Amino acid sequence: MSSDKVVRVAGTQGFYGDSPMGAMAIVMNKAADYLMHDSLAELTLSILQKDKMRDPSLGYPRDIELHAKILFPATIKSGIKVVTDSGGLNPAAAAEKVKSILQAQGISGAKIAIITGDNKIDELKDLKEKGLLANMDSGEAFSFDKMPTHANVYIGAQGVKDALDQGADIILAGRVADPCLMLGILAHEFNWTIEGDNLSQKQLDLLASGIVAGHVLECGGQASGGNAYSEWPMDYSIHDLGYPIAHVSADGSTVFTKLDNQGGKMSRNTVREQLVYEIHDPANYLTPDVTVDLTQIKLEEIGPNKVKLTNVKGKPKPEKLKMTIGQMEGYISEQFFFFSWPYAWDKIKKFEEGVKGIWKRLPYPVKDFEFQYIGVDGIHRSAAPRPSDEELNNRNELGLRIVIRHEDPKTSQAAFSSIICLGLNGPPGVNAMPGWGKPNRVMLGLWPTLIPRELVHPVTKIIEV
Amino acid sequence: MSIVKVIDIASARSGDKNNICNIGVMANSKADYQLLKEHLTSEKVKAHFGELIKGEVIRYEWEALESLNFVCYEALDGGGARSRRMDNLGKNFSSHLLRMELDV
Repeated sequence: MSSDKVVRVAGTQGFYGDSPMGAMAIVMNKAADYLMHDSLAELTLSILQKDKMRDPSLGYPRDIELHAKILFPATIKSGIKVVTDSGGLNPAAAAEKVKSILQAQGISGAKIAIITGDNKIDELKDLKEKGLLANMDSGEAFSFDKMPTHANVYIGAQGVKDALDQGADIILAGRVADPCLMLGILAHEFNWTIEGDNLSQKQLDLLASGIVAGHVLECGGQASGGNAYSEWPMDYSIHDLGYPIAHVSADGSTVFTKLDNQGGKMSRNTVREQLVYEIHDPANYLTPDVTVDLTQIKLEEIGPNKVKLTNVKGKPKPEKLKMTIGQMEGYISEQFFFFSWPYAWDKIKKFEEGVKGIWKRLPYPVKDFEFQYIGVDGIHRSAAPRPSDEELNNRNELGLRIVIRHEDPKTSQAAFSSIICLGLNGPPGVNAMPGWGKPNRVMLGLWPTLIPRELVHPVTKIIEV
Repeated sequence: MSIVKVIDIASARSGDKNNICNIGVMANSKADYQLLKEHLTSEKVKAHFGELIKGEVIRYEWEALESLNFVCYEALDGGGARSRRMDNLGKNFSSHLLRMELDV
């Protein structure tokens, strides 16, 4: 291994539903050796569990099917490897689906790896009997009173390294912690040791460097000019935003860049903004493989669209692994109405009075509801400065969002069909929005707990196309 | 005494972990960072958000990035999939923080 070796990894999916166009541009330009895709947010797992309950062959992010049609044929042809957590709750089924889509395009010889062992939904009773599952924040004991929707352990990078060591072209993992997708790639390329109790400071620093590179990439375009207050008013195009690419060296130092022929921007500011994202204590960023200290980092712009990150420090990994259990707690439903000038504000208040009166007489009680005023406090609620009644009455239009939380799915139908009559019976100048407002969105509690490492056994398996 | 608007000296990004929202505030310069460090306290941030943040606000200093990180507990109406708010993930807490004004 030469010491000037550089591994190029692109972060080309930040969530389930992200555009594949950024990935396509990077593949067409052969600008990366690996694509790292993260599609599993906490909420995504509960969506996938619902899919899986409906159809046991589902339970993975469905955009993997689009990727198998348009992206993977190109990555396989170019020798670019794809590392993703899009196995979701059912990596084996995801792999079968990808395999069949690739075969239908005449592709053979590719290796798909699946990584499992994170999904503990079927072991919850056993784990509770062992005295585990206490809430790691509150200390409260776990109860089955609320139906568990999913239970996944954040697992580390070893499975990704193993899969790549075995020649995988596409890795479909379950709940590997987002930045560990990156660490697994780098550990494979640079032969870094991930697991072991007596890692040297230098080894820990390398692992930590890999984690931070992964953290910067895990939200896709958010590292390369997307969602950036620091670059506002954004003097670059966003329709073709170039996704972030990390050039990582054997010493762990990383240069973040993007394609020059795409939109977006890679600056010290865009990277800084992504570094602070969803981090708590910068001196102790916990991951399954290493605890990361980001307080000493050096971040410098070394050229147009080139930002160098060095001096990441590592500390030993946490003793236990984190698991999150989803709990079914009921439903959230909403509906929208708009009110025009004149008297927009007074009309909203009259409308509210009508809604409350109607709901009092319903057989399905609506107890937990809020009225939110779009254009006034829809986003920041009570923290938003409140204009005077006179000013609000003079607005061209105001919106009302009514949101309810309820246990019985029938409540939403009753609540919102019962107030439609206010279109004719209520204040003048109201626009109802047919088709808006999604009924019965699942209300999900998340129960974080810690689990001993010896109870978690990640498995890597290769499937040939 | 003069008034400094946070939006004039910093940018911000926020995100969620269950019912916790973190707001990273990135100063435009080293001098601005010192100003923020001195005047943008966790108490002021908590007060600015009022009823939106039910729990405590912990501030971490991050000199290497000229940034402060505010971790706000019980801030998301129960968490992303429980919240009645339009901003259920707290992505717009950043915007509201930028609206703060500091007496310096």
